[in-house]
Amino acid sequence: MTTGLHRRMKLKSDVNDNDLLRLMLAGDEEALALLYRRRQGSVYRFALQMSGSRSIAEDVTQEVFLFLMREGHIFDASKGTVGAFLLGVARVHVRRRLRAEHRLEPLSDDSDDDDLFMQSTTDVCPLEDLTRAETIESVRKAVLSLPPKYREVVVLCELQDVSYGETAEILGCAIGTVRSRLHRGRALLLAKLRPAEDIEETGAATVKSARCFA
Amino acid sequence: MNCQRFETVVSELARGQMMAAEQRADALAHSDVCDDCAARLGDEQMLTLGLQSLASEMESLEAPREIEAKLLEAFRARAVVVPITKRQSNSRYWLAAIAAMLLIAISVVVFRWSSRSADEPRQVANQDKRQEQPQPKPEVTNKSNEQLVQDIEKPSVDESLPKSSKPKRIRPVNFRRPNNAAVANHVTKEIATDFIPLSYMSPASLQEGGQIIRVQVPRSALANFGLLVNMDRYNEKVKADVLYGVDGMARAIRFVQ
Repeated sequence: MTTGLHRRMKLKSDVNDNDLLRLMLAGDEEALALLYRRRQGSVYRFALQMSGSRSIAEDVTQEVFLFLMREGHIFDASKGTVGAFLLGVARVHVRRRLRAEHRLEPLSDDSDDDDLFMQSTTDVCPLEDLTRAETIESVRKAVLSLPPKYREVVVLCELQDVSYGETAEILGCAIGTVRSRLHRGRALLLAKLRPAEDIEETGAATVKSARCFA
Repeated sequence: MNCQRFETVVSELARGQMMAAEQRADALAHSDVCDDCAARLGDEQMLTLGLQSLASEMESLEAPREIEAKLLEAFRARAVVVPITKRQSNSRYWLAAIAAMLLIAISVVVFRWSSRSADEPRQVANQDKRQEQPQPKPEVTNKSNEQLVQDIEKPSVDESLPKSSKPKRIRPVNFRRPNNAAVANHVTKEIATDFIPLSYMSPASLQEGGQIIRVQVPRSALANFGLLVNMDRYNEKVKADVLYGVDGMARAIRFVQ
């Protein structure tokens, strides 16, 4: 039976997301399973990068697909892709959860989720691995400390590798707004990360102006 | 390119986004001559590397498998519930539809039966009266105008009223079935003559219906129809009902007291 299920799912793996959604709404369980396996990663990672919490990310992922089961018929293919639609729903749920749990502030250093990404996955030198892990951790904290409207653009465009156009669809704003928010978000990230670098390199906490008028 | 212009493109440059080759060359040339902008570009590139590292670190992260199991379970539960409710609603729908059809059929049968039983004695009575009082008056079979035509053909006489010395043609009006409420309301307590044809009138002319209009005419008009006129009240007016056909032509008249 499991073999048959896998064979049918393999046959359906060529079907695009729109058709899978249509099949799912018609009651096809395999279509739901396949669509979930295709899209759960991006939804989960987006929720995790936005919230910094595994529990919130898991809840949001579940809520997004439950929403898809209930209200999937509202999806309009002419307005975007299923992936963008799911990320848009995830964004709403993440914001709702963060608002409810007052988690909009940056996570404290003693958070249980701080070691989320401190996973050594390579066989490089332990010192290099440590440095890389520290860099990633500092970037992660900097991203989480951004105001939500900049954070979501940075997460989508930089971490999820979503195009400007799709990001605009997800956020419901113009592409120009996405560009300007990304520019501002990156500037904020640099400002948050630079002091630490400066301390390491120069031992001073002064921030140099990035502007010159040459 | 100056530093302000460089600032607008430095993010795109560091991220390796598509941009015009000329603009890209200008920006790189500017960073070669401007130390601050070179440092700015270096910062942006380091940030891009950090973000890419974070993205690649998280690339393998996925939701726990329990979520998929829960979702499929919820989907199955929903898929099981929906057909049951659909079946219930369908069966209810069919039951309601059958009941409605039965109700309609029964009401049609009852209506036909009752209308037939009501028509039969009336037709018999009309035939009897026709045989007793054969008069050369038009015969109309249109049911919608049946009452109207009956008034013209055979005005019923209330025999409970005392006989008077007035002319025989003046009889109390007694509508057995006053369909036309407008007429019945003001006629039932009045005494009226029979409808007197104003011109040649065939029964077919009333097939499509008609209209009775109450008017006042000089009492002298009674003489034109062979009715007696009280000369003491010669100048007074008398009420009359004029029957108009659908073509607007006056068909008949009756005088009301």
